Amino acid sequence: MDFRNTNAPAGPLTEAVRPVALEGNGPVTDEALILPAQASAAPLKFKRPWALLADRGAGTVFLVCTLVLVALIFSLLGFLAWRGAGAFVAIPGNTGRILSLREVFLGLDWSPSQDRFGVLPFIFGSFTVVGLSIALAGPLGILTAVFVTRVAPRWMRAVMRQAMDLLVGIPSVVYGIFGLATLLPLLSKGWLDEQPAAGFLASALILTVMIVPTVVSLSIDAFEALPSSLDEGARALGSTTWQSIARVLIPAAWPRLVTAVVLGMGRAIGEAMAIQMVIGNNPQWIGLMRTLTDKTPVLRFLFTPASTLTTELVQELPNTAAHSAWNNVLFALGLLLYLLTMGSILLTRRLSRRRA
Amino acid sequence: MKKLDLRPRLSARIMDRTMKAALWAVALAFIAALLVVMGAILKQGWPVLNWGFLTKMPETLDAGGGIRPQLFNSLYLVALSLAASLPIGIGAGIYMAEYAKEGRWMNFLRLCIETLAATPSIVIALFGLMVFVQALDWSFSIRSGAMALALLNIPVLARVTELSIRGVAHELKEASYGLGATKLQTILRVLLPAAAPGLLTGTVLAAGRAFGESAVLVFTAGTNTSMMSPDFSLKAPGETLAVHLWYVVSDGTLPDAREIAAGTAAVMVLVLLVLNIMVRLVDRRLKRHAR
Repeated sequence: MDFRNTNAPAGPLTEAVRPVALEGNGPVTDEALILPAQASAAPLKFKRPWALLADRGAGTVFLVCTLVLVALIFSLLGFLAWRGAGAFVAIPGNTGRILSLREVFLGLDWSPSQDRFGVLPFIFGSFTVVGLSIALAGPLGILTAVFVTRVAPRWMRAVMRQAMDLLVGIPSVVYGIFGLATLLPLLSKGWLDEQPAAGFLASALILTVMIVPTVVSLSIDAFEALPSSLDEGARALGSTTWQSIARVLIPAAWPRLVTAVVLGMGRAIGEAMAIQMVIGNNPQWIGLMRTLTDKTPVLRFLFTPASTLTTELVQELPNTAAHSAWNNVLFALGLLLYLLTMGSILLTRRLSRRRA
Repeated sequence: MKKLDLRPRLSARIMDRTMKAALWAVALAFIAALLVVMGAILKQGWPVLNWGFLTKMPETLDAGGGIRPQLFNSLYLVALSLAASLPIGIGAGIYMAEYAKEGRWMNFLRLCIETLAATPSIVIALFGLMVFVQALDWSFSIRSGAMALALLNIPVLARVTELSIRGVAHELKEASYGLGATKLQTILRVLLPAAAPGLLTGTVLAAGRAFGESAVLVFTAGTNTSMMSPDFSLKAPGETLAVHLWYVVSDGTLPDAREIAAGTAAVMVLVLLVLNIMVRLVDRRLKRHAR
């Protein structure tokens, strides 16, 4: 780094460099620095003028970068709202029928070819898959975090961290092909006498493995943020490790653990490709589940091919004409997804504020 | 005389042992899950993997196609999307770490970054489809895909930059100001170099995520490739490995769709493993260097 004064006349440099007139308004003024012999020389500037100029411009540049990011959020919301609204109100370019909110969001029948656009099957489908996977990933993730922070020896901690990094790094299509080529045959052989196994269970299992690293790493943060006096106090009163974990540490970390699970949920609800490959893609799943009688109710629930918000978008959006009613409803589903993730973020904020 | 027993109750001790064993079991189950997924992918893909598979053009109807253009497109798109998102992401991160003051504005910015980072990729895909493919009329092309991927990267990069800069020792910054450096000089010559290991790791993570991304690209880069390869044209259709894997399986016209999918998946897993190992090595070296 070279901050020496390049404007200084060739002379006794030591004199000129001495005082620290950082912004030029310190007690030592430029004038005071000029030695009698150099009185006619240009006034001293400690910083290169371009450095000061660049410094002034830089803040604006960085602010613009940030504003781009903010603008992205709102244009996302705006564009989705505009195209999604096209399903319910007339907007320019619209070619399809105008639907009513009621028939779309309270309708159970999705048959676009017969002009019926009920999206409840997808909403129920998404909630079912997310509910099942969070019921698995929540407790298991928290327990894994307990293991890593309280029970595991040091080498095992490193192994677990590496394992979680790898699990999070595997792309969703790779999970999808694993589900399709390995998990589904396994389930169908083990449970169903070779009948196809696509459905909620396979999706939830895949999704669990995908979101567990999120839950684990946030839960580890939660446990590590606790003061060590909590555990020490419990131990001093004679608790075993597990008693301290179950009665002191988990309750103390609870709000942050809930946040971890909610964020995991946010990830789960947006996952598309992996589920699309194993869920079977059947918008009529509610009806099918009612009519199938060859399986027990539990097996029917777990193994009926179904659809979710995300899988429906992946499955059908490429086949629809832009601005048709069908297309517009799909965009409305996208808007719904976006609002759901925004909701989960706001929920975690609310939770963490209450904690503070 | 009976000896005083200060240990916890027997039932509590048994419970403690049992639960510790259960915790080990849960942890080992996840490691097993990782090994099973990785093992199954590599085992199924291994017979397909050879030089021809990597360098041949794909077939549309017959068996025996390769993944040459997809492999190229994957790497090309990752590079382009990083080129587009790094300046904005790092700029925003610097603003958050060094310029924005704590308070409402900062809270709002944090909320924005969190929201964008949590936005499902299928929603980014819809946005890319509306804006790049339809409104700007770029059709399904490399440039649409690169821009949409950049949207995915920006919040990740911004957050990593902010955290890495905040992690730099305060003394370094003070020393720089003490030498008379301006704020910008301090950021460019002191803070960013000191934050480099974190930035690098974050960038590689973003690259890995972009490499494996499929939902966004199905709707922006499309499911076709250029007839020639490598094709650097930004207007060419840009199917990547991840999209190819999904498309051959769900389209189902290829007789060897499963084999191609398995081979593609194995290639992706191998690339990500190499990336993961590289990050570790570089990170270790940089940290030693910093010390």
